[in-house]
Amino acid sequence: MVTAGSNKWGMVVDVDRCTGCQGCVVACQSENNIPINLEEHFNQRRAIQWIRIERYWEGEYPNVKARFIPVMCQHCGNAPCEPVCPVYATYHNNEGMNVQVYNRCIGTRFCANGCPYHVRFFNFWEPEWPESLKNQLNPDVTVRSRGIMEKCSFCVQRIQRSTRESERDNEVLEDGDRGLNPACVNACATNALIFGNFNDPDSKVSQIKEDAMKEGGRGYRLMENMGTDTNVVYLKKVDQSVEVTHGH
Amino acid sequence: MALTRRQFLTLMGGSAGAAVLFQACGLPEKELLIDSPAAMPEDLVSGTDNWYATTSQQGGVSEGIVVRVMEGRAKKVEGNPDYPLNLGGHSALSEASLQGLYHPDRISAPLVRTGPRGSSEYREISWEDAVARLSAQLTELKDSNEANKAVFVSNPVGGHAGLVLDRFVTATGARHLSYEAVENNVLRNALKEVFGTDSIPEFDIDNSDLILSFGADFLSSWVSPTRYARGYGEFRQGHEHRGKLIHVDSRFSMTAANADQWVHVNPGTEGLLAMSIMQVLSADHSDAVFGELDSDGILDSYSPVNVADVVGVSADVINKIAEDFSHSEHPIALGGGSAGAHTNGNQNLKAIYSLNRVASNIGKKGGVILNPESPIAGVSAPKATNTFSEFHRLSEEMKAGNVSVLMVRDADIYYGMTDTADMKSALDNVPLIVSFAGMMDDTTSIADLILPQHHFLEDWGTDIPVAGPGYEMVGFQQPVVRPFFENRGSNLGTKGFADILMTVAQVMGQDLGLSADTFKEVIRNDARKLYDLRRGQVVSSSFEGFWNGVLQRGGWWDTEAKERAEPAVKRLDGVDRAEFGGTNQEFYLQPFISTLGDGTGASLPWLQAMPDAISTATWQTWVEINHKVAEEKGISEGDVLEIRPSNGRVIRALAMPNPAVPPDTIGIPIGQGHRDGGRYSAGRGANVLSVLDPKVDSDTGSLAWAATRANITMTDEWIRVPKFENTVPEFPRDEHHHIIEITSGEDH
Ligand code: SF4
Ligand code: SF4
Repeated sequence: MVTAGSNKWGMVVDVDRCTGCQGCVVACQSENNIPINLEEHFNQRRAIQWIRIERYWEGEYPNVKARFIPVMCQHCGNAPCEPVCPVYATYHNNEGMNVQVYNRCIGTRFCANGCPYHVRFFNFWEPEWPESLKNQLNPDVTVRSRGIMEKCSFCVQRIQRSTRESERDNEVLEDGDRGLNPACVNACATNALIFGNFNDPDSKVSQIKEDAMKEGGRGYRLMENMGTDTNVVYLKKVDQSVEVTHGH
Repeated sequence: MALTRRQFLTLMGGSAGAAVLFQACGLPEKELLIDSPAAMPEDLVSGTDNWYATTSQQGGVSEGIVVRVMEGRAKKVEGNPDYPLNLGGHSALSEASLQGLYHPDRISAPLVRTGPRGSSEYREISWEDAVARLSAQLTELKDSNEANKAVFVSNPVGGHAGLVLDRFVTATGARHLSYEAVENNVLRNALKEVFGTDSIPEFDIDNSDLILSFGADFLSSWVSPTRYARGYGEFRQGHEHRGKLIHVDSRFSMTAANADQWVHVNPGTEGLLAMSIMQVLSADHSDAVFGELDSDGILDSYSPVNVADVVGVSADVINKIAEDFSHSEHPIALGGGSAGAHTNGNQNLKAIYSLNRVASNIGKKGGVILNPESPIAGVSAPKATNTFSEFHRLSEEMKAGNVSVLMVRDADIYYGMTDTADMKSALDNVPLIVSFAGMMDDTTSIADLILPQHHFLEDWGTDIPVAGPGYEMVGFQQPVVRPFFENRGSNLGTKGFADILMTVAQVMGQDLGLSADTFKEVIRNDARKLYDLRRGQVVSSSFEGFWNGVLQRGGWWDTEAKERAEPAVKRLDGVDRAEFGGTNQEFYLQPFISTLGDGTGASLPWLQAMPDAISTATWQTWVEINHKVAEEKGISEGDVLEIRPSNGRVIRALAMPNPAVPPDTIGIPIGQGHRDGGRYSAGRGANVLSVLDPKVDSDTGSLAWAATRANITMTDEWIRVPKFENTVPEFPRDEHHHIIEITSGEDH
């Protein structure tokens, strides 16, 4: 069950389920009014993807593997991006999320420097859409103007809306509610992404985490050694052909 | 039959309007009219959203979706969690349909050409005028007994739109061909021969523990990738034992990347490998099935030692695959894609699917589940398309002056046919080309008359999926928003495709024998037939309740209504060696589907900007080449290469070396190189389909699109490859610090 204030939102990413299909990437673009990444944006290395699929090569033809991993803001409990912001544009809220206040942001880009996961993106231009495509823009999400930093928000607008509506209708918001789930989670056909409340011991994410973090379990965190205390738990890729645990 | 203007408008007006909210439970009392944002702003409560269920059937993908609508505008697409085919997940293609709906280059009124062909000079005309022009032409042909000089080329259309189209071509006497740039004909033919079924079975990947796939890039683009991906997730981590995926492919596809074992074979030898696996199994087992399958005793000549060299896989590996296959509890074999796109494609796929006979998994958990017939008589899934050879003949007929009117709908034959079939110049000989496209595609850009159809999110329809879930189902498509161009008035704007055909027929005085005058009513009347069955997941005491229920849930299905007949075992046929266009060319040219489907997605910027899974490239046409081969030749990323098959055609593509490309192969994504398709697609990249050799599968006449060989030559040009890789700095990694951690899975 979900109650405002007492939640700690987080995600589980099962790398063994992920196929690298990029469905989550496009869903996030659609939900969050991310500017269209044109060819020149890729060429300038300034394309914006709040969630991205990293691809790692291993070996050579014919014994070759490509491995995929989705990476989005890890919503660190101990976030390196937060203390460096001179105007508190990025801060930690009481639901465990790392939040970006666009109206405060003055574009120093210190936070992007601080983030070891490289999940923060800067708007180098005023975002542009042809007039008719603006009809698709999500009215729940601010369009960020030039000079503003942006990143994965765990689709906070969905959390807000579903919490508000369930309170209004006197309904209980269940774990795994599709209105509460971020866009990427709902899109993922393989169920590689699972979202929920880590403060609720019965939630799916809590259960998976508990199991996965046991000795010999598949759980790990990205760059755990940095002490970022992330709210995203990854589950290891399984490869029967490898002898021991290793990685990229 | 003469129509007054008023009657005419009434006929055309019936399609838009009502939709039913998507909800998890309970049946709605009534249909709710979707409000036009322009009409009644005072009634709009800003900030309230509604979700409507419908189906998305673009590019052959059929998915149940729910669309979030606020203030009359569609904002977000998500998968319909109840819909049997995708159970909540959805493809990027479905998501990007929103950009098709609000595309800045949509056609907003009927057009007639004013400049030379292909000049993009058009003038708007009224619907009345446009329909009159088309019906006059068709009537004239009919009256002079030349009705068969009218040809209708469509995408594969099923459900009720298919019904209306069938009736329309019968009534007007036009010939009908259906078209897919990347054909599924070989697949459908092989499935028919092996399992005696017209549809594509459900492959129960979810419950399988060993998938042996041949060429079918089922996680990315093959047949129904969203639902296969869903099954794949469960196959990996949804059960006690993690399933094993062995993928046989001449290219390192996305499915190969996710496989536990990628078995690289020489192109066109997939069937030989399948035969060889069966040979091993027949030697090990005295299964009765081999008595039937191999009553001619042909398998013996396919022993691993006999085929190893040709296939390019050692006998040991073949034996090991056979062992894995026979030691699994629920093995399944699938094949398609490039495995069927050779001169021996049909033989390859027949051999591959026969493996399921050996596994005797037909109708079983984790196996091949055949689909029952459509629950509505006369309304069916899309039929198999016409083959490349038939379209080649069509182009000959055009040249001979035997085609006077060509009607096209979502079938881009100008783009998708290889240049050797000469379709482009053949089209010059057709006096009247009429398109029903709502957006410019290449064929539409040379059309003389355009009757723009609604976007599917504005229209009615049904879907009887060609690859059904293993039980009876009918997807329902309802308009989730009012037509975007409604404000242009009813004599301009767009109309529903089936409604356009019904109006043309009516103006011609032809009776289509349908149950109603508008498409919506035709569908509604047939929904009554479903209601009368008194079964399925929507149960209601009244038809109104039932109708609202199926619209609300996105369709009707009955999980108990299965195909029970067990098809007879089909004797194995031999597998010939594949032939290639050109023999001296250095590389096998392997076209593949990346993010743009068969080219239909090129107009949508989200799909253009979606990184290719393997290369992360976007917006361009690149050529995959082995990185060591590239190094030897002095080729680096972004070098512009010319690709030259033996047929003399040339395209240019950007070099994209990677370590997984077989050294004798180059891979080029399908989808770019359009002359039109709007601002995001026109003049971008190159079309690999245009340079293919006209080799065909010898059994079916379908294009053997993987049977071309090519040389590459370097140019002085270099263009930066727009790719996502390196957009963010690489993570610092060493032997103790990983980003992707990998475990053998032994320790838990
Ligand atoms: S949608 Fe799911 S499977 Fe596809 S790339 Fe994203 S996380 Fe991976
Ligand atoms: S949680 Fe929302 S904002 Fe974050 S990556 Fe997923 S879709 Fe994008």
